[in-house]
Amino acid sequence: MTALSASSPPAAQPAPTLRERLRRLRRSYLFKVVIQGVITILAVMTLTFFMIRQMPGNPFQVRIDDLMTRQAMTYEDAYRAAASIFNFDPDRPVILQFSDYIGDLLQGDLGMSITKTGTPVAELILRYLPWTLFSIGLSVLISFTLGTTLGLAIGYWRGSWLDNVVTTLASVISGIPDYIIALLIILIFGVQLEWFKIGQVRGGVDPTITPALSLEYIGSILQYAFMPMLIYTLSSIGAWILAMKSSTISTLGEDYITVAQARGLPQRRILSAYVGRNAMLPLITRLAISIGFIMGGSVIIEEMFQYPGLGRNLYLAITGRDYTVMQGIFLVITVAVVASNILADVAIAWLDPRVRLDKGGEA
Amino acid sequence: MKRLLVLLLIVILALGVTALPLAAQDAPQGTWLGTWPYAAPGTHNLSSFASGGLDTNLGTVYRPIVELTPAYYLWASNEYVSMLASSWGFVDDNAAYEYTIQEGALWSDGAPITSKDVVDTFAIGRILGWTIWNSLEGVEAVDEMTTRFIFKEGVASLSAERLILKQSVSASANYGDLAAQAAELAAAGKTKDDAEWQALSTAIGEYHPETLIASGPYTYTLDDVGEAFMTLHWQPNSLYSGSVRFGDLKLWSGETEVTTPLVLSGELAHSTNVYPPATIEAFAAEGIRLVTTPRGYGPAVLFNYQVEAFNDVNLRKAMAHAINRDQSALLTNGLGAMGTVYFSGILDSLTPQLLSEEAIAGLDRYEYDLAKAEEYMAAAGYTRNADGKWADAEGNLLSFEYTFPADFADFSAMARDATAQLNDFGFDITERALPWQEAAQAIREGNYELSVWSWGAGAPFAFNSMNSPIRRWNNPVLPAEQPGMSLPLQFEWNGQQIDLNDLILNVSAGLDPAELTAKADFVAEIINDTLFFIPLNEMLSVEPVNEQSIGGAPADGDPIYANPSSDHFIIYLILNGTLFPAGS
Repeated sequence: MTALSASSPPAAQPAPTLRERLRRLRRSYLFKVVIQGVITILAVMTLTFFMIRQMPGNPFQVRIDDLMTRQAMTYEDAYRAAASIFNFDPDRPVILQFSDYIGDLLQGDLGMSITKTGTPVAELILRYLPWTLFSIGLSVLISFTLGTTLGLAIGYWRGSWLDNVVTTLASVISGIPDYIIALLIILIFGVQLEWFKIGQVRGGVDPTITPALSLEYIGSILQYAFMPMLIYTLSSIGAWILAMKSSTISTLGEDYITVAQARGLPQRRILSAYVGRNAMLPLITRLAISIGFIMGGSVIIEEMFQYPGLGRNLYLAITGRDYTVMQGIFLVITVAVVASNILADVAIAWLDPRVRLDKGGEA
Repeated sequence: MKRLLVLLLIVILALGVTALPLAAQDAPQGTWLGTWPYAAPGTHNLSSFASGGLDTNLGTVYRPIVELTPAYYLWASNEYVSMLASSWGFVDDNAAYEYTIQEGALWSDGAPITSKDVVDTFAIGRILGWTIWNSLEGVEAVDEMTTRFIFKEGVASLSAERLILKQSVSASANYGDLAAQAAELAAAGKTKDDAEWQALSTAIGEYHPETLIASGPYTYTLDDVGEAFMTLHWQPNSLYSGSVRFGDLKLWSGETEVTTPLVLSGELAHSTNVYPPATIEAFAAEGIRLVTTPRGYGPAVLFNYQVEAFNDVNLRKAMAHAINRDQSALLTNGLGAMGTVYFSGILDSLTPQLLSEEAIAGLDRYEYDLAKAEEYMAAAGYTRNADGKWADAEGNLLSFEYTFPADFADFSAMARDATAQLNDFGFDITERALPWQEAAQAIREGNYELSVWSWGAGAPFAFNSMNSPIRRWNNPVLPAEQPGMSLPLQFEWNGQQIDLNDLILNVSAGLDPAELTAKADFVAEIINDTLFFIPLNEMLSVEPVNEQSIGGAPADGDPIYANPSSDHFIIYLILNGTLFPAGS
């Protein structure tokens, strides 16, 4: 059954049986992408679990090395001291560790941090996720909106001075790593020109302000998020501009654009309803992936500004080899990327029925 | 009535006059702007014993300012000065050690600090496997203020004294219950292998007190911990509340790359981070004062003795003579490193204190001398081939791989320079950069040919310096399945059978200064002659002290700057009020 046949008058059809409904569900496009997503999550989760344990130096060994170097302990003494500190048994077979992990996960338990004893991983993620969602999420939306708008404009008016200026700027800025942009802004505008106090753009909010739904508190959140957001936007907007320009130029060559122009439609209408909408299609998957990766935060920027996001915590967990925290954050990122890809698939199928028909499924 | 009014007025005036100085002693003004890589909110806890607690959050530099240690060690004069204790020393013919807490010492909650707090602290430390318990039989209260540490037979040592006097004391009000359980287990004859012992150890690790009870003049709560900085606030009850001159200690979070802009902008006045030479130059260009202190360690060339060639001492000596250590130091960390002088196995700053003049005079200093290096190469049986490379009798080049931790800028710079200098001399060495955890693992597993790791330690005893890397990276300190350097520690030397493991282990045992010097002399001579590793340089800590923010820092060359990071100078200078907010 196809999407086209689904539009037949329902009154003419007998009520579908349960078996029929299951068969339809199995064949539906959404069902397929969801199942693929679940399999992907399970595969990534398993791979992640084993791969992070292949990294040299487990948290236990890092602590042992530290104790042996700083306190001249023997391996046995350092081992005993480390064992007393961490909730982690390095001698437990990895496969049993995995079964523990899966067992806990099925009960919604992400476990406890290994290096910060007594700290549940879920609590840690819930504490930091909103900051990342807010700052990076908003930055993605801003850079996507601005980038695609500018890309559309310079694609449509290609060869103009605007095109030359914006394309050059976008090419340059998309080639500079985000941490270099951050350093340049800090050193030029913070240290040299003293436009802002460097300490006042570090952290998530002014710790002297009591958390409340007040203008002061919200203002402080926005003030502290400004710099990470600015840098993330600057570092990602170039790619959106260039991609949208390329897609726009490609769309402009389509027959329906020529027809629209021949019909004498207003330029604004051609730009928005004909060019923009169609040029946007290839960028949706890319946007979905970007949205998925929002969850992981921006590791270096968050570390540089001590912004309380998941990215900074991931960085700390990796350097400290905190397996359980790494697993938890990677799981969140995986689920987010897979979910946003499913949404992108569904959105594209909705925007372009050929996708559904090509796969022989139903939306 | 009039008299009564006059009397009342006099009383009020008198009270006012006496209250004025008291008010002046309240909460000193000004903020110390420092840095420490503390655990972020959510993972931060206030435990004196748990991971993510005070040890992480305040470290060796700031913890003694919050939880006082009994005494503080001055490296230049080899003496302890009082912090929490009024007196200390060996007793009972060195069978035990005692210290007495100063009269009037109070916790921040107003309760007196007593010997019970000390006994409880060490009871918990026993469960956690503290090193000092290798030397102790027990810890007991002699009276309200005095604690006795009873040694196992014949193990009294200056190292043990240091472990006792450097241990911060924690409040029984927070840890008394856990300490009582620990004492019960010890009294019942339980050991670390018993399940109850391990369960208590886990419970200690998971216990996070809600408040920090401080003995020092500063304390904080979890509300004072932000993402970017945490603030320690002055509290009135400490022995040092009247002498310190900062109202708050603001500690920025983050490591070198994060704190650099803050130092440059003047928002961070003192930092213990290791800054690269270019950054140090930028600080100097901004007019920021730089204070240099020892770090207590340095990078060394480590050999893997499973590689046959390295078993020839002539080859090792040739390598030592072929490396220009001044250049190595400069490239390792600019002003923050010094080429090693004595090759005694003991840090250069300690060698004159711990060795006799005769022994020092007898040490080979392995000066940079390519001609001498050539002689040793010839003695080892190597000749130069047509390309000028050293080759053995079969024509095999001296081809090795040099692994180093890529993320330690100083160690990797040292390794790369050593590689370049040795290759210029005729070796065929290839660099291999690894993440530091992998580099450490490679040494542990003996999976390397040449590597770099630290030598020396931040403790004023021969044992600590000599321990690393000779014992640190070898059996029996490493378990049997980890060969490490594969260096045989029992060997014949100058006609004597030597057990280097045993000699180093006991080099600082005992209390007789003449005996200690003689033992150190002997081991230093062996280490110097056998050259089991090449200590290329000794690291220095070049610390910015911004005098726009901090006043009172002693002039360069002051003896306090002989203290390494493990007994950091700011502990002493903040507590005794030498440092103060600039302009106050």
